[in-house]
Amino acid sequence: MYVQVKGLTFKYRNSEEDTIKDFTINIAKGEILSILGESGSGKSTVLRLIAGLEVPEKGIIKIDNKIMVDDHTFVPPEKRGVGMVFQDYALFPHMTVEENIRFGLLKMNRDEKERRLGEVLKLVNLEDYKTRYPYELSGGQQQRVALARALAPQPLLLLLDEPFSNLDKDLQEKIREELKVILRQTGTTTIFVTHDQDDSRAIADRIVILMSTAT
Amino acid sequence: MGAGCPLLLDFTRTNYDGMFLRRTMKEVERLFKVRQLRMSLNIWAVLSIVFALLILLPNVNILVNVFNEANENWNHIKEFLLKEYIVNTMIIVLFTGLFSIIIGTSLAWIISVFEFPFSSFFRWGLILPLAIPPYIAAYTYTGLLNYTGVVQRFLRNSLNVHVNQKHLDLMSMEGAIFIFTMFLFPYVYTITKAFLERQSASLIENARVLGRTPFEIFLLVILPVSRPAIVGGVSLVILEVLNDYGVVKYFGITTFSTAIFRTWFAMGDLDSAIKLSAILMLLVFGILTIENFLRGRKKFSYTSTKNRPIAKINLKGIKAVIAFGYTMVVFSIGFLIPTLQLIHWALLTYKKILNIKFLELMFNSLLIALISSGLLIVIALIIANYKRISDSLVARISSKITIIGYSIPGAVIAIGVIIFFISLDRKLYWFYKAINPDSGKLVLSTSIVMLIFAYIIRFLAIGYNSIESGYEKIGKKFFEASRTLGMNITKTFFKVDVKMIKTAILSGYILVFVDILKELPLTLILRPFNFNTLATKAFEYANDEMIHEAAISSLIIILISFTSIYFFHKIAEMEEK
Repeated sequence: MYVQVKGLTFKYRNSEEDTIKDFTINIAKGEILSILGESGSGKSTVLRLIAGLEVPEKGIIKIDNKIMVDDHTFVPPEKRGVGMVFQDYALFPHMTVEENIRFGLLKMNRDEKERRLGEVLKLVNLEDYKTRYPYELSGGQQQRVALARALAPQPLLLLLDEPFSNLDKDLQEKIREELKVILRQTGTTTIFVTHDQDDSRAIADRIVILMSTAT
Repeated sequence: MGAGCPLLLDFTRTNYDGMFLRRTMKEVERLFKVRQLRMSLNIWAVLSIVFALLILLPNVNILVNVFNEANENWNHIKEFLLKEYIVNTMIIVLFTGLFSIIIGTSLAWIISVFEFPFSSFFRWGLILPLAIPPYIAAYTYTGLLNYTGVVQRFLRNSLNVHVNQKHLDLMSMEGAIFIFTMFLFPYVYTITKAFLERQSASLIENARVLGRTPFEIFLLVILPVSRPAIVGGVSLVILEVLNDYGVVKYFGITTFSTAIFRTWFAMGDLDSAIKLSAILMLLVFGILTIENFLRGRKKFSYTSTKNRPIAKINLKGIKAVIAFGYTMVVFSIGFLIPTLQLIHWALLTYKKILNIKFLELMFNSLLIALISSGLLIVIALIIANYKRISDSLVARISSKITIIGYSIPGAVIAIGVIIFFISLDRKLYWFYKAINPDSGKLVLSTSIVMLIFAYIIRFLAIGYNSIESGYEKIGKKFFEASRTLGMNITKTFFKVDVKMIKTAILSGYILVFVDILKELPLTLILRPFNFNTLATKAFEYANDEMIHEAAISSLIIILISFTSIYFFHKIAEMEEK
């Protein structure tokens, strides 16, 4: 399996209960998996653990057969090759669209960077906006920049945290379709987290339902 | 300026609840897991811990050395002098605190509830007394009121009134209390005003609807509700009073600060100076504990409440005159009169004072303040960044340690730093020898490094608070986004964090810069031989009965402080809109 998560257990510093308890899942290459759950079920935490933004108490995470975390290893987020689109996008406000996208293109030479920038801008259909700053864009455009920024370094795995929650309802369906096309086109292995069943059904190959540990 | 203002958010407050120990044990356990270690051990952590230890050591040194065997001198001090130190210090603290509360809260109430001529100017004008360091105010008022001063000359020559010199003698306990109150009350005023303007609109309006007069509302609603703000403000006033050396020395009053100086400089008795410092330190901790207790469980939190401004009452007629008169009198005494007097003196002396030597002095002064503030901000950035990333127990302790220096009086820090550097010199002697065979025994402790080190301990809290609030505003998401895009912590820091909190960095830098420029007691004790700053030079002139000559240095300090207060007032106004 391409992504393997085994026996993942996690607790936030100030809470008594485990937020994630013994979570196990395998994902095939190119698969789009949706994690569906109520708020507070810890679904975003799963993403943060896979991205390396939190450290699990127990468990193993492997991506492409490389150990990301186990009892002896912890690979920091910048070395995991995992892309992430945050719920509120976290676009750097002091950088233009172009600079935001270039930010993650570290190991490429000048020409490669230029080419890759052009590719992803075309992919999300924002070629005309590259000199804009994030606050000059609509919500839907911002979301596409965030997606382009995460896809630009060609991550092994893409994580999407509630990708539609900040958009208007009628915009959601349109963007959902776009997203599906883009993910299929690039063949990116994806995990996306949502509380909306329609989102899950529309995009995912497989749906995992996460129950709250509190109940 | 209101150096302390950013501090009010959190002042040595730790939640020692029942779970504390258990959590600590868990934290320790977590630390020793390999995967946690990989996450939390990095250059940021190492540097933060080193800095925290460096800050802590000199202070701990003082407390440890208390148990050294007492010498004869100490027995003498204990028997004959200690009581006077304590009584004098307590009297000044008590009355300054009391009068600051009266003036500070009444003005805060008048300004936030009423509108009258010039009230919008006084809103920030009443902060200006903070631009004049109390030691400068002390000799300005002394010069103003003495036999040859402008007040008595006017009375004598124009009105033919001959006053009894006793009535206008400022060099007394009463005089010290007057100076401290008039130039430190803005701490109470600023914090209480901010609190009232943001928190109390609905309370005041309700009380109005229920038929209470404004004065009743002040007594029955405003005072009790703003207790935590008042206590916070007055404890800053008290800490400043305990820190002061200039005023009490100039007035010839023996308090802890002057006693520590005299024991160390005049008697050369470091052991007794340490003991005195330790007692003063305990006094400060006592005051902070009382502060915590008086504040109750209330914390300052503006976030949860709506930011609705109070609908102000427009005063007319006699009431407007009274409100204007009161604020104008306080403003005049606290800023206008001393500034005008200093300008007058400066005009009398500028020909004599302004020369190459003075420029050199100014350059010295600005340079050391620039360098020290720069280093301080770098350290604050490192610790704040570590705290934000890791949020482990070690990180939280490091961040608490940054605040320590601000509550400890300058004289105490100075003694701690001296002991620390002398022992450092002893340990490094072989090294000095290796580099330069003729090297003396004391190298670091006779250099400017010692003074810069002390500035950093004393003012780190101010820079740290500013930067931490900058980090809190942007949150962690940009940092995390950058990490998932392949940047490590350090690259993220330079490419994302620093750029996003640059306003906070700049504000912190300015606050610290101004405070270092005005600083007196640390500089007096720790400066290298023949090294002078604007502050020490002004103080020296004043002590040599050359009050007029002190005016220009004083005015430069006041002008720079004034500019910074104005700058922060503008920023605050912009943020409110």
